[in-house]
Amino acid sequence: MTIGISTYLIYLAISIALTIWVARTLHKNGRVFLVDVFHGNEALADSVNHLLVVGFYLINFGYVSLALKLGYIVETAEQSIEALSVKVGLVLLVLGGMHFFNLFIFSRMRRRANTRHQPPVGPDAFTPVQQEA
Amino acid sequence: MSYLTVLYDPECGLCKRAHAWLADQSKLVELNFVPCASDEARQRYPQLNHDLTTKDLTVVTDDGWVYFGPKAWLMVLWALARYRDWAYRLAAPELLPTTKRVVSLISQNRYQISRAAGLAK
Repeated sequence: MTIGISTYLIYLAISIALTIWVARTLHKNGRVFLVDVFHGNEALADSVNHLLVVGFYLINFGYVSLALKLGYIVETAEQSIEALSVKVGLVLLVLGGMHFFNLFIFSRMRRRANTRHQPPVGPDAFTPVQQEA
Repeated sequence: MSYLTVLYDPECGLCKRAHAWLADQSKLVELNFVPCASDEARQRYPQLNHDLTTKDLTVVTDDGWVYFGPKAWLMVLWALARYRDWAYRLAAPELLPTTKRVVSLISQNRYQISRAAGLAK
């Protein structure tokens, strides 16, 4: 196995492991938010949570796959480590960006769900209500 | 908030038509229709200015908060499952003045509109 091929394999192993770790964290901790957003409807929250994670996997694996090619020949271990640092660093940044984007979506959904109970406008006056006998 | 009381004008065809349409919509907050300035309305809200309620649509929440005119329309919209988002959109600061103008225009000309649409009075 040439050093080039091992570089690719190490890149894939690290990227895939990182993606799975971030997705699982998101899946585990995002659930609480979603249950709150859907007012305790756990079945719906789990379903949306799962769909979000699938999208997360697709985008990240897509990026990992597209960014695989190095474009130059790696001959020494030093070059291999340098190549890996650039590639894995980019994957980390993309994962971080996606992660914050997901958090943003969660918090926005939550805020929206909570403000929808407030009337759109303030009242003009107050009048005592006579309860029916 | 569990229900809204809508004080509507039973004399106007457009209002009756709107009433029928509202009855069919699925609601997030129940709507309770009471003809404005009727005995029922006076009995339920002894301190409300009932002359004002004959001029424009009025909505009263179950805990006694009163919304007149365009605000009452927005509250009715807000009560409907399909239109709650629209209520917020129309109540946004950029749109609220336009919403108020359009609703007032329709409200003040409700008898003419009803006649033009062939909805008795």
